[in-house]
Amino acid sequence: MLAPSLLILVTFVLYPLVRAVWLGQQRCDNFGNNCVSRGFDQYVDMFTSREFQSALGVTVKYALLTVPLGLVLGVGLAVLADKHLRGVGVFRTVFSSTVATSVAVASLMWLFLLQPDVGVLANVGWINELFPSVKDPGWLRDPGTALVAVSMSSVWANLGFTFILVTAGLQGIPRDLHEAAAIDGAGDVRRFWSVTLPMLGPTLLFVVIVLTSRAFQAYGEIELLTQGGPAPYDSTTTVTYFIYGRNSVISGDVGLQATAAVLLFLLLLVLSVLQLSGLGRRVHYGD
Amino acid sequence: MATDTRAAAIPAVGFDRPRGWRALGRYSLLLFVAFLVLFPIYTTIVAALKPGNEVLNDPLRPGPFTLDVLRDAWSTGRLGRYLLNSFVVAIVVTVCQVVTSLLAAYAFAMLDFPGRTLLFGVFLATLLVPLEVTLVVNRRLIDSLGWLNTYQGLAAPFLATAFGTFLLRQVFLTLPRDLRDAAAIDGVGHLGFLRHVAIPLVRPTLGALALFSFLSTWNQYLWPNLITTEADKNTVQSGLRLLASTNLDEPNLVMAGTVIAAIPIFVVLIVFQRQLVRGLTAGAVKG
Amino acid sequence: MIPRHSASRRIAALALVGAASLLAAACSSGESALESGNERPTTPATSAPPATAEPGATTPAGSAPTTAAPTTTVTPLADLPPCPVDALDGAAGPVELTFWHGMSNELETALIELTDQYNASQDAVVVTLQNQTGYEATIDKYIQSSQSSRPDIVQFPEYTVQLLADSGTVIPIGACIEASGFDTSPILDRILKAYATEGVQWSMPFNVSNPVLYYNKAMFEEAGLDPEAPPLSLEELRATSQAIVDSEAAGYGIALDTGADSGGGWFIEQWFAKGGELYADNGNGRLAPATRVLYDGPAGVELMSYVQQMITDGLAVNVGDNASGQDNFLKMADTVSPAAMTIGTSAALGTVTAVLDGGLIQGITGEDLGVGPMPGPGPGALVGGASLYIVAEKGDEKAAAAWDYIQYLISPESQSQWAAATGYVPIRSDALELEPLATKYVEDPRFKVAYDQLLGTSDDPSAFGPVLGPLREVRAATARGVAEIFNGDDVAEVLSRTAGESNALITSYNERN
Repeated sequence: MLAPSLLILVTFVLYPLVRAVWLGQQRCDNFGNNCVSRGFDQYVDMFTSREFQSALGVTVKYALLTVPLGLVLGVGLAVLADKHLRGVGVFRTVFSSTVATSVAVASLMWLFLLQPDVGVLANVGWINELFPSVKDPGWLRDPGTALVAVSMSSVWANLGFTFILVTAGLQGIPRDLHEAAAIDGAGDVRRFWSVTLPMLGPTLLFVVIVLTSRAFQAYGEIELLTQGGPAPYDSTTTVTYFIYGRNSVISGDVGLQATAAVLLFLLLLVLSVLQLSGLGRRVHYGD
Repeated sequence: MATDTRAAAIPAVGFDRPRGWRALGRYSLLLFVAFLVLFPIYTTIVAALKPGNEVLNDPLRPGPFTLDVLRDAWSTGRLGRYLLNSFVVAIVVTVCQVVTSLLAAYAFAMLDFPGRTLLFGVFLATLLVPLEVTLVVNRRLIDSLGWLNTYQGLAAPFLATAFGTFLLRQVFLTLPRDLRDAAAIDGVGHLGFLRHVAIPLVRPTLGALALFSFLSTWNQYLWPNLITTEADKNTVQSGLRLLASTNLDEPNLVMAGTVIAAIPIFVVLIVFQRQLVRGLTAGAVKG
Repeated sequence: MIPRHSASRRIAALALVGAASLLAAACSSGESALESGNERPTTPATSAPPATAEPGATTPAGSAPTTAAPTTTVTPLADLPPCPVDALDGAAGPVELTFWHGMSNELETALIELTDQYNASQDAVVVTLQNQTGYEATIDKYIQSSQSSRPDIVQFPEYTVQLLADSGTVIPIGACIEASGFDTSPILDRILKAYATEGVQWSMPFNVSNPVLYYNKAMFEEAGLDPEAPPLSLEELRATSQAIVDSEAAGYGIALDTGADSGGGWFIEQWFAKGGELYADNGNGRLAPATRVLYDGPAGVELMSYVQQMITDGLAVNVGDNASGQDNFLKMADTVSPAAMTIGTSAALGTVTAVLDGGLIQGITGEDLGVGPMPGPGPGALVGGASLYIVAEKGDEKAAAAWDYIQYLISPESQSQWAAATGYVPIRSDALELEPLATKYVEDPRFKVAYDQLLGTSDDPSAFGPVLGPLREVRAATARGVAEIFNGDDVAEVLSRTAGESNALITSYNERN
């Protein structure tokens, strides 16, 4: 009964992983042949190289721009929409809607919003006057704003996911906890900090892990929105885009691509362990 | 999207229903954020319904309306073909993931065999391996099997999932072992037990897993791009990328393609919204 | 009961700490990733790494002291796969060919038309086109695939000649020319030579382009300039831009980009050729494999300083890396602050005129568009565009069929039709006498600008562009430098660093291939 799963996972996950680790200490010709082992120092060299460091820096920045904001927005909206207001169902539908957009769909929508020539914002007169930078140079073309612009698209695209999860988490909080707190005289704000948030612990931990790993694996949005640019600073070249994207100095070097990919795996591994052990122990699991 | 069942089931308590200025404040906030969330969707739809020479002319104003661009995106963008490919691959992967996960989860939960714990650990470890690491080796593997540009090539690496196995195993573990022993005495084999007892038990989880598998496969971006060299075998994501990469001068055409690509998944999510919430929260279960 | 400290606050704080510690743990060496796995230099730290090897290191292969010596040596045709040109006669049924190309828009339409005509014209060969969405993707897919998954014919841009020559995956077209006694004399010599290294003709030029100046005649008139006299030199380009900006006919004189295959790389190679300067050593890599680029010399500094000044003075606008290849044209159609000119490949002409004539862009009609030679330090241009390669190990029949199809695509009739539809330069002069090109060039002289520009090229070695194994990556590195220069950074410093990176790429390539 295990055989089918085992066959697939060994063939397409474990074997390629081992191969990639081996390939990562080799250098090959541009066609991926005639590989020669250079030793595992190659991993250290790659990790400390300025290109990888730059890509890693961008990736961390990207995660810091998207994860906390996505979390705050998701929790905030879910709490707001959890109240018994008339018509709140409509709002819930709206906030959940972006879960239906794939990376390609969401990125193209935002490309059409932000593109400085044919984009929406750049072609609306009053927006232009309010924010001249949407046109010249354009948020996606300015090294100072490009990563923020990509992050906006990503936060938007992830909002549905976060919102649905947190909403479900809220509904799992026993009502008597709130009532008890209210009887103790706790107001809305107080109850949010002392009841709602702690009870959401496991949900929030999960959201953080998923959003972080999405940020660390960002590729589609980068390719569609900025191609790793704007030049010269490669301001949106994340690690994944550095490995597989256009105009990378290692695009003709399958060995170095593997080196960088394995490093990305190790980074994600460290992050997962950090998040699960460091944070997980502190998360309140209700009863 | 997420239905507010609780609102009807539980009588409103005083502290939970904001009134007066506070309600107004909440409404304004909700409306404002809803506006921000809907804005990119609105501009996309407006552009998709405008003729090409009108698209830059006041992009916020809807009209003049035309369906020509949508038709054009459907025919020249060949989105029909790409949607079909995406559906086939997503369904194949979903069905296979459900089957392989069921079998493996059952084995891990109900069978005793040496090395079970170790194997389960290996399964879980595969969850930590990002696609980026295995990409290069897997592409070579699929190539050497002669599976480039085929459905089996698009699907093969994803036919098993440790996530699904883990999820189902958690439910199977709640089954009393005595039940299985009794069934064995009655001459019911493992497959029979699985079909008549175990599967009915996990049906809700299965639905959630299926939707989760479908969505993840549908949204894949890097892998389909990598193993497709014939346009006919593009999935809708790589098809959109193709459409966008060659038609920036016709943003309304790209937006029409985006709308067409997004609609089916919106429909799927509206139909299966209960499974969606479950599927997304499944990952947050403790244990 | 209820914990005082919220979990989420901790989560956020810890995420920050985790991220920061990750960064702190990494002590950047500042070295390029290309140095990865290389032996640490045992010599004192003062000795230059291979990346910045002294000019002395450019001695012929063999005398170089390290393994870094180029492994490529002169390859006589006899050692390469033969071209079985007669094998088609013995074929039982129609031979099916797969052709990977990177053409889009009007170019793809024209290629489909030519191929349909070919398929209909005979029954021995059936060609199936597979669009790989651009050259970049074509190269990547070709490299990643096994030989059996590769197509029978493939279209590669001019910057991959050395890469393909070193790959051992293609049948040199020179072998087919020799075996069939094909007459190459009508083909423009410089076009053919662009795809030859060290005496071997690797591929057959098919779509030849070079950069030209696109400009808005209406804006020229508004600025009191002669709409039929576009600027030719860089000085004239500056004066023209000044007149346009001063008269407020447009926000900017010219839109420039920093794309690797346009303003950030290819155009620099073009400017060097126009100025009679070598871009790389060993005769632009055509005498022996190049070991380093030369663009950080005085000529490069002077050139790039001039262009930088135009941007600083607000006469030119930088539209960024232009990954779509359309951003510079879109800047000309900008409704708020357009540019009156841009430099772009002549291959875009067919698409640009089609878009303008279709009324898709407001404010500019097809009539408003003027085309002139690329302004620069001299006349002429390098051969750009792409050529066709026959993939090896596909069987004699396929190779023969591929050669047959290629002969069709470069026939005077086909080239006439192709050039008229696209804006590409016909690879042979006799195509100009045939319809539809004969009429097209008379009725719409804009299409002839690139052809005339190419004919005006000198016979100096510099006028045959650089052949470098990693030219694609070198262009990417160069483009980053150009972007920094356009942003106002110190020209000499940037060029010297960028050249160092390019040289590291060349060293790494020569070492591995």
